[in-house]
Amino acid sequence: MTFSKKNILLASIPVAILLLVYFFYNPEDFDWFPKCPFYSLTGVYCPGCGSQRALHSLVHLEFGKTASYNFLFLPALGVVLYNFGITVFNELSGKQLTNYIYKPIFPKVVLIIVLLFWGLRNIPFSPFCYLAP
Amino acid sequence: MEENQKKPKNYLVESILVTIFCCLIFGIIGIVNAAKVNSEYEAGNYEGALAASKQAKTWTLWGFIIGLAGVVIVGFLYLVMGIAILGSAGDF
Repeated sequence: MTFSKKNILLASIPVAILLLVYFFYNPEDFDWFPKCPFYSLTGVYCPGCGSQRALHSLVHLEFGKTASYNFLFLPALGVVLYNFGITVFNELSGKQLTNYIYKPIFPKVVLIIVLLFWGLRNIPFSPFCYLAP
Repeated sequence: MEENQKKPKNYLVESILVTIFCCLIFGIIGIVNAAKVNSEYEAGNYEGALAASKQAKTWTLWGFIIGLAGVVIVGFLYLVMGIAILGSAGDF
């Protein structure tokens, strides 16, 4: 019972605080936002680089900017919401709809996409540079 | 394999969140283990799936803890620096 009412309520507090912080503060304007440790150490973008700016854009409903800061941010959010939705639906309805993230192929595809994205966004010329944050 | 053995949690969603929001290496190892959970379970190796599930849990948990610790440490440093600057404001 991962998504019990109590857990959802408990998790919604930090999520709401995060959304408010990223709504009112732009990570580009304030240097107290945490920096990507991988980028700071290596100078190479990681698959998560740009996600704070992407979140800031998302809560201002600027979806194009969200995708340009981190192309995988919206698909990742989609997976999170899909898993949440189908789990809660199955628990409430007592049905057993297939959760596709438990198919063997799904995490493999995710892994390949993440690794490809990681490599491609570090290639410093067009069209790959559009994947950089 | 017993029919009623529940599919172990694969921690894919947690791994993706860790990959996107902080410690990618931990998140990617989490995704690898999530893949292992699914394929081992599908192949009938329940023990293997359970072991991979535990691995995935450990890696994502550490990714989360290290990410959170990083944020707290950076926040603390900024707080200390802020206090130091305020405290020295009269010395210029």
